[in-house]
Amino acid sequence: MRFLVFVLALLLAACGKEPLVHSQSYVFGTLVDISIYGESEARAHQVSNEIFQDFQKLHHQYHAWQKGSELYELNEAFSQGKSIQVKPELREMLEEATSLSKQSNGLFNPAIGGLIHAWGFQRDEFTPIDIQPEVIKNLVNANPVMLDIVMDGDKVRSKNPAVQLDLGGYAKGYALDKAAEKLHQLGIKNALVNIGGNIIAIGQHGDHPWRVGIQHPRQPQPMATLELLDGWAIGTSGDYQRYFIDSDGKRYCHIIDPRTGYPVQHTQAVTVLIPPQKHAGVISDVASKPIFISEPKNRDAAAKAMGVENYLVVDNAGISVSPAMKKRIHWLNQSKSEPETK
Amino acid sequence: MKSAYFKRLLPGDYLVVLLGLLLVVYLFKTLWHGEHAAKLEIRQGDQVFATLSLDQDRVIQVVGPLGTSKIEIKQGKVRFLSSPCSNQYCVHQGWLHHVGQAAICLPNRVSLELLGAKKAYDSLNY
Repeated sequence: MRFLVFVLALLLAACGKEPLVHSQSYVFGTLVDISIYGESEARAHQVSNEIFQDFQKLHHQYHAWQKGSELYELNEAFSQGKSIQVKPELREMLEEATSLSKQSNGLFNPAIGGLIHAWGFQRDEFTPIDIQPEVIKNLVNANPVMLDIVMDGDKVRSKNPAVQLDLGGYAKGYALDKAAEKLHQLGIKNALVNIGGNIIAIGQHGDHPWRVGIQHPRQPQPMATLELLDGWAIGTSGDYQRYFIDSDGKRYCHIIDPRTGYPVQHTQAVTVLIPPQKHAGVISDVASKPIFISEPKNRDAAAKAMGVENYLVVDNAGISVSPAMKKRIHWLNQSKSEPETK
Repeated sequence: MKSAYFKRLLPGDYLVVLLGLLLVVYLFKTLWHGEHAAKLEIRQGDQVFATLSLDQDRVIQVVGPLGTSKIEIKQGKVRFLSSPCSNQYCVHQGWLHHVGQAAICLPNRVSLELLGAKKAYDSLNY
């Protein structure tokens, strides 16, 4: 008996504790989790908490519908046709979002906050709304675009009072880049930061790369996994996180086609994998939107416009993957989700 | 005696045996996928609320910012039984059986995850 206890103790000691510390919090209306490898538990928690606080700050600064946020003030000024002074960080964000919007031929359009509001997605909970076709039509006809925004030094105004910014498809990616920058500054070599499913990798998990699961849009489990190498980022646009279902059983998701003003209904999920580059986080957040919104036949062109080679699409026809992505992905339940290559 | 016993089997009997075998293979393939979960981790906010085994049937109450989420463990599965949130996505997720499955209630900040001996991935993209 004593020998058995000894052997067990030895076995347990041999297992050791893997130097992986996992912390989670709720920011940006979603779940944020940070894994740090190779640091003491105390240090990892301290670093994670610092990053959570930075996120909280970004959330309040760039909240689209919370009175008092920098973005709220900006939107107020836009609707009144007034010029307003903005901080350098917000100005840089506006410039980058404008250039990405141009690159996506307007499919990524953070200026349609009015439409997002009309569809009831500028709330913490999503319950069915009474769809008002007239309101939606007017918002589409008003044609708010990023190019309506005029920047002159630190002064910003909009030529179009219908421009209402919602950085919902940008801010999480921006926060990922900020977190990666901070982790590097703090000397953290290995970490994985996940904001509501948008993930960026730094270093690796011990002697192997970080591995991420890709959620199936209609099942409570991952359909595949892939290795997220140092500096890479992954993001998904899906119709299964923020949506409501009306009395006819029709699903309305939060991703709105700016050309029609209606939620996209031909696609369930688009995942993009972005190689290391400046602002990989932002690109992983933004680039999935134009692919999601494009009609199925135009997806390849939309991906190309955004410079995306690795992507995966789930729609009613099934799962399809780009040739580059096919080499990286590992299917978990092949028999149930037989992928096709384009 | 034995051979006499077998001689009494008619071609139809062999067919029945064959179909039975096929049925076993089919059931094995459809039902026996995925490692059965060893543990359930319930998180509330930034804390691990509890780590439980799935072999005891019970209902757990977790209090979040909106109120009480009820989590039911039954016959090795787990689900959100009820939730104070308005959209009820968490309840609609249904039963979780296998390692790696997770359900989350963002409004009430409660998450369930089934953990196994080895995790298939470090973090989930969704």
